[in-house]
Amino acid sequence: MHMHKLEKVWLIFGISCLIIFLTTIGVSAFYLGNKPPSCLLTIDPEKVDQQAPFNKPGLHKVEGKEWDYELVYVASAFSYNPGQVEVPLGAKVKVIATTKDVIHGFEVAGTNINMMLEPGYISEYTTTFDKAGEYLIVCNEYCGSGHHLMFSKIEVVKK
Amino acid sequence: MAKVELKQKQKTEIEDSSSLKGTLASVFLLGFFIIITWLSVYFLFVDRF
Repeated sequence: MHMHKLEKVWLIFGISCLIIFLTTIGVSAFYLGNKPPSCLLTIDPEKVDQQAPFNKPGLHKVEGKEWDYELVYVASAFSYNPGQVEVPLGAKVKVIATTKDVIHGFEVAGTNINMMLEPGYISEYTTTFDKAGEYLIVCNEYCGSGHHLMFSKIEVVKK
Repeated sequence: MAKVELKQKQKTEIEDSSSLKGTLASVFLLGFFIIITWLSVYFLFVDRF
């Protein structure tokens, strides 16, 4: 098959780009273990308040785990529990959240923490809070008439 | 009288379409645009917590 020389150039260029992009995603998923925030963990949405860890929302220090703290949130129309949290700077935190009623969003504005909270499912995201400041948590899934009033705050402070 | 034009020898010029330099340039232009946007989103993701 005759192929123009320049045609070969851009085909090789395009295919190698594709390979590099897909390898990056593959390494992220299979080597670094990144997964979607909601990944197979379920809960009875009617009994959220009685079940650990959602019976005690807030920041808890944990021992013997890969992360130092667990930050537990329960979302319901139209608020998050807790409404404000202080996190020490540099702490590795696992954010664990679920919803009691409808689908809510959980976006810590300006960070990679951005999850969808679905009734019956637990969403998790582990990260290191390495920049001090005040962060706003907003709901980014339309959940009803009070959707725009739904927020919470995280303060990352040096201790 | 009308002339019969059958015997007129006129060559039709065929444009040389074998040059693909313009196509190469536009492919790379689009390619680099995609790479730059991909990398900027990637580094934004890596930089944030």
